Amino acid sequence: MSEPTLTDKVRELIDENPVLLFMKGTPEAPRCGFSMRTVGVLDQLGVEYAALDVLPALEPLRQATGEIADWRTFPQLYINGELVGGCDIVEEMFDSGELAQLLSIEQPEMAQPSAKQELQQDPQQSPPIQIEP
Amino acid sequence: MIEQALPGAEVEVIDESSGDHLRAIVAAPQFEGLSRIEQHKLVKRAVQPRFDDGSIHALSISTAPMGSD
Repeated sequence: MSEPTLTDKVRELIDENPVLLFMKGTPEAPRCGFSMRTVGVLDQLGVEYAALDVLPALEPLRQATGEIADWRTFPQLYINGELVGGCDIVEEMFDSGELAQLLSIEQPEMAQPSAKQELQQDPQQSPPIQIEP
Repeated sequence: MIEQALPGAEVEVIDESSGDHLRAIVAAPQFEGLSRIEQHKLVKRAVQPRFDDGSIHALSISTAPMGSD
């Protein structure tokens, strides 16, 4: 019986979570500006998502996502098993309404620049995922 | 570097923070028909050596196909 590789585990996470964000830090405490902005967009959309902090296993995870999606920088957003992109693409698609469409939800009306967001309601996300490298 | 990898592209690179956070705005004919991800990958590949040698830490990318009107 062979041990699943990190790449296998990452593939599983992508398949099992309709909206999955690989980020530096956690949604409550992002550790980089791009990750923070990406979380900001998801929170504005109010969509439920799973988040994985890549910092504990940064290089192995770069390799894993490099193999799976040919993309090695973080944050990375996957929707329904497909890589959507990093912060730039997520923000562009949010502004154009494409992201809301992709998620089959309504575009929020008063979209704010993704700086600090107030948590007026419970954030709709699963607890942060931890995986062993 | 981007112009070499994508001949005919219009490129603007802005230094956002003392040289290691950059923003590249690229319009290129090669982007026609490609998804945003594919467009960004082309730009990233073009500047990969600068990531490898540590002179760039972060790159924001905006791309658009170069339309022919």
